[in-house]
Amino acid sequence: MGLALFMVALLAILFYIFLNQKTLLHVISISSATLFMLIAFFLTRSVLRDGVIYSAGFFYLDALSAMILDIVLIIGWIASIYSVGYLETEVKTGKLEVSQIKLYYLLMAAFNFSMMLALTARSMGIMWIGIEATTLTSVFLVGFYNAKKDLEAAWKYVIICSVGISLALLGIIFLHLSSVEVLNGSHLLSWPDLFANAADLRSSILKLAFIFTLVGFGTKAGLAPMHTWLPDAHSQAPSPVSALLSGVLLNTAMYGIIRTAAIVNKNLGSSSYTGHLLIAIGVLTMLISAISMLTQKDYKRMLAYSSIEHMGIITVAIGIFSPAAIWGAFFHMVNHSLTKSMLFFASGDIYLHYHSKKIANVKGLLQALPLVGTVFFLGLFAIAGVPPFSIFASEFSIIAAVFDGGHLFLGAFLVLLLAVVFVAIALVLFKMFFGKEGSTEPSVAGNVSGEVMLVVMLVMISVGGLYLPDQLIQLISQAQKLIIGG
Amino acid sequence: MDYYFTVLSTLILFTAFLLIANKRPDSYIKTFRAQSLLLALTTAIMGTHNLFAEGHYDVMVVCLLIIILKVIYIPNLLQKTQANVAYVVEKDFFSSIPLLVILCCGIVAFTYFTLISMEGMDAGPVNIQLVNSVSVILIGLLFMISRKRAIGQIIGLLVIENGLYITGIFATHGLPFIVDLGIFIDLITAVIVLAMMVFKLNDEFSSIDTNKLKKLRG
Amino acid sequence: MIIKVVAMLIQIILIIMLAPLVNGIIKKVKALTEKRRGAPVLQMYFDLYKLLQKSMVVSEVSSWVFRVTPWIVFATSLTACLFVPISSSLLPLHFQGDLIMLIYLLALGKFFMTLAGLDTGSTFGGMGSSREVMISAIMEPALMVSLFTLGLFARSTSIPQIMLHMQEQGGMLAHPAFILLFLSMLVVIIADTSRLPVDDPATHLELTMVHEAMILEYSGRDLALMEWGAAIKQLLLITLLVNLFFPYDPLPGAAGMGFVLLASLGIYIMKVILASVLIGLIEVSTVKFRLFSVPNLAALSFILSFIGFLQLFVLGR
Repeated sequence: MGLALFMVALLAILFYIFLNQKTLLHVISISSATLFMLIAFFLTRSVLRDGVIYSAGFFYLDALSAMILDIVLIIGWIASIYSVGYLETEVKTGKLEVSQIKLYYLLMAAFNFSMMLALTARSMGIMWIGIEATTLTSVFLVGFYNAKKDLEAAWKYVIICSVGISLALLGIIFLHLSSVEVLNGSHLLSWPDLFANAADLRSSILKLAFIFTLVGFGTKAGLAPMHTWLPDAHSQAPSPVSALLSGVLLNTAMYGIIRTAAIVNKNLGSSSYTGHLLIAIGVLTMLISAISMLTQKDYKRMLAYSSIEHMGIITVAIGIFSPAAIWGAFFHMVNHSLTKSMLFFASGDIYLHYHSKKIANVKGLLQALPLVGTVFFLGLFAIAGVPPFSIFASEFSIIAAVFDGGHLFLGAFLVLLLAVVFVAIALVLFKMFFGKEGSTEPSVAGNVSGEVMLVVMLVMISVGGLYLPDQLIQLISQAQKLIIGG
Repeated sequence: MDYYFTVLSTLILFTAFLLIANKRPDSYIKTFRAQSLLLALTTAIMGTHNLFAEGHYDVMVVCLLIIILKVIYIPNLLQKTQANVAYVVEKDFFSSIPLLVILCCGIVAFTYFTLISMEGMDAGPVNIQLVNSVSVILIGLLFMISRKRAIGQIIGLLVIENGLYITGIFATHGLPFIVDLGIFIDLITAVIVLAMMVFKLNDEFSSIDTNKLKKLRG
Repeated sequence: MIIKVVAMLIQIILIIMLAPLVNGIIKKVKALTEKRRGAPVLQMYFDLYKLLQKSMVVSEVSSWVFRVTPWIVFATSLTACLFVPISSSLLPLHFQGDLIMLIYLLALGKFFMTLAGLDTGSTFGGMGSSREVMISAIMEPALMVSLFTLGLFARSTSIPQIMLHMQEQGGMLAHPAFILLFLSMLVVIIADTSRLPVDDPATHLELTMVHEAMILEYSGRDLALMEWGAAIKQLLLITLLVNLFFPYDPLPGAAGMGFVLLASLGIYIMKVILASVLIGLIEVSTVKFRLFSVPNLAALSFILSFIGFLQLFVLGR
């Protein structure tokens, strides 16, 4: 069943290579995304029933991978529907050629394929290969418009992330070194085997491996001080790509860190070593992003810094490593992906109308684009952590876990930083909503499909604050038990 | 066999020093080629040992791949890229070369003291090999951040990968075969992507001086 | 006692006679690789003989330094050659610390040469002197670290004893760090003997000269002494290089004394020829560095020797 995922992906890529007609490309994209989602639902159901799925020697799906895979494929589905409208509008206004649509879909398919590879791999080496492949396939997506700023963003992205990933490979080599006496043959570097035998691995080498893995995958996840590529890449990319990068790719990188941290914590018997490192980096990340958000002039860059901040929150939660904190972290990953992608989709519509990414050029949003404006407005409240949205629920559970664990100063500091973030968002962005609309251009018949999806997502995140479906709760709890170590 | 490995690791460290002391992109590429050749030699020695002792030929396949990719294809690709972009005769690095060279020395000492403080590392030849290989990784990193031109940064990345591969060979006698293969595919894709990016940068900015990429700040 | 004196005499005569041959071999190698026939290998002997016959022209504004320097250079080179072991069966003088003595004897000669370059008041001489002083200052740490590492390895600071110890250990194959020390010393020797890529010995452009500029004003017998002294110094440094890193002589006591001596001298001459060919090939394949790029070379040489030291004494434990 899991292999069906890869077969669909490869088929889709083949179709993209050989077909040229615009409508056909759109059809293939939407149908393949729907197929992915259906397969993912089946897989999640069997994970909820059986616990883990092993297949074909290299495919491995447990609750954690299933949770993140679901997010990837759901947001991928939403993105494919949104992209149809977005690309059509861009072709109509002449900013993109029709041939570029083919390149776009091809690269998106490859991107999806590499992310699926990373999430369903049993061997951590293959997981690394998948994560590196996501960098390579998204470089040209980031620099899609080929202007000077885009190329600069793409270059910084590829160089910084490649260096980071290489350091992560060093971490994986050390991981291998620490286990070379215990495992052999086909069990080398496989996560379930490493986790089961974690107590027998060599501690000192494992500690070194964790540092390198944290720095390496942390670069991909946007943790400070390796975050410098993120604002550029996420703001210069086309909006559906930004949504995928922010919502999905950062989670996949955190997945790598979580897997390694689980092994190290089980080996050392306590989470203080990884905890100190993770909390330190997480707090630094939140501090830098909160301060940077106060002076932003570009709304997409602002959203990118907000992604960095939320990744910092997740890192702190994993550093605490109590059951409640882990539950909160996973819940937050789900919520943040949905909310951030929705915001980026909405920002795409704003860009299509105003043709500028600067906050100063966008005025009177609620009047000009009522639906998109409202969604963006509410989404900003959501991302800042206002009830009743889902982000509030997950942030609350994380902060509660921090205070429960006895870290009073840390909790207070986190609350302070979250308040700074709220002020920054309010100050900078609410200028966009009111006032007279300056642009006299007639509103281009925008992105109808995208707007539909925006409403759907808004509903999802508002409901998520108050009520969660049972399957989701069960999935997250299963993932949490898996990582804590049963 | 351990003796050959130690000698080869010392020579690879020597090529890393040569790289830092180089001033022109053509010499970077030549030094990288020499380093990859030494890498291939190391893999060949390990491969023949594996072949005769255990009958696996996967390491020999990897050695062949190294020769085809890193010694022949990638340097040629980079030379073609270098030949086609704007050539400006100006200083390519941020601080003077003797300073960088002495920093490299510090890097080797630092690596040694870090690795020696970990229990579980055998003393003797493995220790020297490991120190040399991890130093090559860090020297590649230093090289990358000290060069302004895009080609220098690409070569730095490739040297880091070389160092990683050597560390893998010396520490654990190679990673699993599939992982090695995947790493090579990633590497070649990365180099192709980077070379295409260099062409695009050259088209837009008429130079490959990455110091000029300054528009996105803050 | 008599044996010691005889040994000293044999050593001195051998080195004096062999020194101009090295220059000849290097020039011949350069010529052959450029597809010329070049001067005969023994050319320098004829040059020295010719110079000794000629009269000298001495500048009126120069002082006693100018007149004394050729003798000092020749004398220091000769004294230094007593400490450098040609073969392990011929060890005229050795005491603890003769390593330092050797280096500073050669430095004494270089010091007087620098002064003499300044003495005549010509601009080119002064320029050559300042460059020479800069280059030797930056190359010295590498030389010191290499030689002292070898001394630490052999637990002695006496060169002949170092050579004996290396012979017992098998020379350069004893430890991979010796490769780094060898490369480092090679660079230092190229700089000290004023060869490409540091200084072009065949240049006739005064602005590019370093060593040649200092001896520009000399003529006749003084010039012969200076050139010969420089050639002896070159041979001494090459001897250090080959004998410390490739000491494959038959040990004394392996067979009859005379036979061992002749065999080891034969091996030594072969090693010197090979080293000269190597230096010649290096000269042919590089170009002269800009003066301010020489510190890069010096830094490279220094860290090679330093890393060699680290690997031998810090890592190996």
